[in-house]
Amino acid sequence: MQIEDAVILETRPAWEGAYITWFHAPSLSRGVEPGQFVMVHCSRERTDPMFARAFSYYRAEGERFALCYAVVGRGTRWLSEQPPGTPVRAYGPLGRGFRLPAAPSNLLLIGGGVGIAPLVETAWQAVAAGHHVVAMMGARSAAHLLPASEWPREVEYVVVTEDGSAGPRGFVTAHLGSYQAWANRIYACGPNAMFQSLADTLRGNGRRQSPEILMEENMPCGWGMCYGCAIFTRHGVRLCCKDGPRFNLFDVF
Amino acid sequence: MPVTPDLSVDLAPGHKRGLLLRNPVMPASGTFSWGFEFEHHFGPEGIRRLGAVVSKGVTMEPRAGNRQPRVAETPAGMLNSIGLQNVGIEACVRDLAPQWARWETPVIVNVAGDTIDEFGEMARMLDGVPGVAALELNISCPNVDTGGMEIGQSVEASARATSAAVRNTDLPVIVKLTPNVTDPVALARACEAEGAAAICAINTVLGMAIDVDRRRPVLPRARGGLSGPAIKPIALRIVYDVAGAVRIPVIGCGGIATSRDALEFLMAGASAVQVGTATFANPRALLDVVEGLEAWCAAEGVARIADIIGCARPAPVA
Repeated sequence: MQIEDAVILETRPAWEGAYITWFHAPSLSRGVEPGQFVMVHCSRERTDPMFARAFSYYRAEGERFALCYAVVGRGTRWLSEQPPGTPVRAYGPLGRGFRLPAAPSNLLLIGGGVGIAPLVETAWQAVAAGHHVVAMMGARSAAHLLPASEWPREVEYVVVTEDGSAGPRGFVTAHLGSYQAWANRIYACGPNAMFQSLADTLRGNGRRQSPEILMEENMPCGWGMCYGCAIFTRHGVRLCCKDGPRFNLFDVF
Repeated sequence: MPVTPDLSVDLAPGHKRGLLLRNPVMPASGTFSWGFEFEHHFGPEGIRRLGAVVSKGVTMEPRAGNRQPRVAETPAGMLNSIGLQNVGIEACVRDLAPQWARWETPVIVNVAGDTIDEFGEMARMLDGVPGVAALELNISCPNVDTGGMEIGQSVEASARATSAAVRNTDLPVIVKLTPNVTDPVALARACEAEGAAAICAINTVLGMAIDVDRRRPVLPRARGGLSGPAIKPIALRIVYDVAGAVRIPVIGCGGIATSRDALEFLMAGASAVQVGTATFANPRALLDVVEGLEAWCAAEGVARIADIIGCARPAPVA
């Protein structure tokens, strides 16, 4: 774990109510596995809120990293409003990320809402390693989609919206189509309802191999000290921060 | 010539085994897991910087802990209802203690019995186990159905739990008190009378939060334990009262996040301090407190930190 005052470089909208913020922080940007996370303090004095917030890495390259986050509370609102140059105490990288196959493979990435964030870094690393990548994003509407320009151009980007304003209408898990048969591996991140639907769909189609998923839970500490982020799996209780956030879908759902 | 301040403290001066710490700083139980995450991130040298390690609460049987949500952030603090998730005493003795035995830093095992008898039984199981330096009796956990605070809110039951443990082990026995009583001093005196080597004060303060949107308590058990800077004045007052009423050492705990917080507790009469929730907000909190105490002693010309224990108390009446 590295602890550093990450300096905000830039914040720009990702979609309606969500932002992408780039930070300069050499020690927090090196050797990041896709799916790992960083704890970022979202108050200047670090007293209110007292605890840092966990964010998965959206990008990590060179001496910089980026987060993509929806404004859901005081912390994320504060973060989204800080001007460039603001130092923000942060520590990471933490947790266990996705394991990509050694040989070039067909990878299907499935993101629900802001759960798309870690899949972008996953896609960049996967493409660099020679994998074929299809990324599917499910969102409320066209106004809530990550722009296609955020992906490496080798990635096939498929969007699904609940209101049908872009791509097919409905939930992303209902539109896996031929991609699930094509995929050697599936990686997903999103709300628990999406995970449950994905598990039901894949089991219904007879898929035995479990996708790897990234889970979220309240994480006061982020490094296995507080036991706040328990996830109940088929193999017993695990800590999202230390044992995860990567889990096998079929172990939890 | 500046001398390195002596930060050592003895937490069991009247006990045959003693409990000598190189400095008065240790984690609070339940905020440090079993110590291995800290060793992983800060190395063996990080462990060596601590006065002691205090384990998460251990119960007779393994426990999965409470369901979600387990925590709620509150102003300058947090409510927790973890529910003593732990591997159980057998795995503690078999798997954890041999790893603790690698460390010079003494490890204090926090034991949480469901019943008085379980405190005696677990004390017996930990007696003579290499890697275990002392026990801390958790008669103050607010997040379980039996044992815990239920015992710690009764003077008589606290005394019996202490006695059961002391009779079954040669290790020093520390008793961790709940603040959720009218008279913590009476509890401390009763535990001292039954042979406790030291008193730790305080465990979390019972609290609650309600989710207005859901119109329900945030925590599934409604109540939880409040910790963090919000409870520091309460903890300090109890430490001040207890330290004036017992002859055995007192370990201060509750809202300590900085070396100046730690100094307040030492000056109130605590012989050592536990840093808890602060570690969640600042992974270096324990190390910062140790380094801050060293720097303060050096700057103030305090040669032995033991000399400032209780210095804010009124002079004893001759």
